[in-house]
Amino acid sequence: MTTRPLKDLADIVRSKNAGPYRITFDILFKDKDRYEAVRATGAISAESVARAYGIDVSQVSSFFEIDMANAIKITIRRPRAQGSSGDGDMYGCQHHVPLMLIAVPVG
Amino acid sequence: MAAITVLTPTGTLGYGFGDDALARGMSLGPAVIAVDAGSTDPGPHYLGSGKPLVSDVSIKRELTALIRAGRAAGIPVIVGSVGGAGSGVQVERTARLVREIAREQGLNFRLATIRSDIPIERAERAVAAGEIVDFEAGAPLTKELLDETVTLVAQMGHEPICAALDGGAEVIIAGRACDDSVIAAFPIWRGADPALAIHMGKILECGAFSAEPFAMDVMLGTVEEDSFLLEPGSTARRASVKSVAAHSLYERENPFKQSGPGHEIDLSGCSFEQVGERQVRVRGATLTETADYYVKLEGARLAGYRSIAIAGIRCPTTIRALDAILDDVRRKALDYFAPAPIAVAFHVYGGNGVMKELEPDTTPQREIGLVIEVTAADQELAHAACHQISGAMLHYHYPGIINTSGNLAFPYSPSDLDLGPVYEFSAYHLMKVDTPTELFPVRYEDL
Repeated sequence: MTTRPLKDLADIVRSKNAGPYRITFDILFKDKDRYEAVRATGAISAESVARAYGIDVSQVSSFFEIDMANAIKITIRRPRAQGSSGDGDMYGCQHHVPLMLIAVPVG
Repeated sequence: MAAITVLTPTGTLGYGFGDDALARGMSLGPAVIAVDAGSTDPGPHYLGSGKPLVSDVSIKRELTALIRAGRAAGIPVIVGSVGGAGSGVQVERTARLVREIAREQGLNFRLATIRSDIPIERAERAVAAGEIVDFEAGAPLTKELLDETVTLVAQMGHEPICAALDGGAEVIIAGRACDDSVIAAFPIWRGADPALAIHMGKILECGAFSAEPFAMDVMLGTVEEDSFLLEPGSTARRASVKSVAAHSLYERENPFKQSGPGHEIDLSGCSFEQVGERQVRVRGATLTETADYYVKLEGARLAGYRSIAIAGIRCPTTIRALDAILDDVRRKALDYFAPAPIAVAFHVYGGNGVMKELEPDTTPQREIGLVIEVTAADQELAHAACHQISGAMLHYHYPGIINTSGNLAFPYSPSDLDLGPVYEFSAYHLMKVDTPTELFPVRYEDL
């Protein structure tokens, strides 16, 4: 089976603070077909996201599939609070790459 | 109910908007101009220090345009979370700019300022009474944490802003406010469905970020009987079902439920409908009032003083040995300055500078940008420790070293830079109140 990275199948893959203690990821698809196709593979899940970031799945605080927006949304707990010593991303907006590279089976 | 149009000039006051977009937006007959000016997003510094997020120059320039437009049209101007964190000093700083604007522009109006500072004793009483619950901080709020807190604010809902409108305010400078409430207050005051008004506020508070192409620019929303209609001010942008639906996910965890002061909004039954090329109609939000009214507290405490050093590393042997070098110089610095506690962090750009332990990629790098960061009880100690570490790294000997004259390429002299006080969030909890307005006093001035 061949795979493609999520970034080739999604329109937008982004990360952002959701409050000072969490980072939320949005995956948005161009249309319902692409959204359904990726969703049907099960490649994007709380477990696969935890694996991509090397964290325990208990650190994934929520996972939503949002049909009305053709979107998948995952939120994780930050290893350290926004702005505390050692935090490297004040807005949490550069945390999307491991998610973007998750392999999704195609064809 | 007559349709009520809100004009939101930008996502954050001070981050700009198009003059043409504002002019076109005003020509559509809005009933109010409402804009958010802050967030926790830029970090705890603005709450802790009281310094403004955006310069006085930018705030004054944009407030001048908005107050002039508001006065010309005879409609109120509402600004929430002023100064970045909405603390008392930030409310006063913004109010001072408004007084200058009134004087310089020859404008007369009634200014209302609304404070959102929470006395520490008030929160301590709530802790003792068991009236505080954790929101997402992961730990309970304690008396000890509150004793260390230098600034404590609470997010107001729409009610204190409505009270200021009752008092005849024409310009409202509000402290920390729930973003949605700043936009929703006027429509609710005029009788709009709070569920629709708050959902509209949620989308409008980021200005034209819900339009395409997105930007910090003017966005308009019109609440009607059973729906609201969105449209960007600039004709170079459009609202599309996709841009609006995408925005409804932004910066929040749960796309279907959103809690605010005294309420919870359910968005699971929402629908988005394209109207013409540039407008989107939204329906379906429902609101439940919570049994008790809780406000969100935001507090910051002084974590210490910070010094940093910035350096490049080009030598492949140093880069290979870097993890061990960093561990060793950190350990030696902690020993050297003991028993005084110091916090040492390394940002290894080219390695895991952005994501730290979440970074899965271990590809070797050609060049590393290193930021050494030390936080200590006072600036002198932070500086001393930062220099001790940068000096130790500069002349560190490790097995296999090939260049013995120095490991760090400093772009600056001095190599060690003092960043001043550092704040951390100390409260991010919900506190029960008896009434929505009790913590948010309104003061009027006729200018």
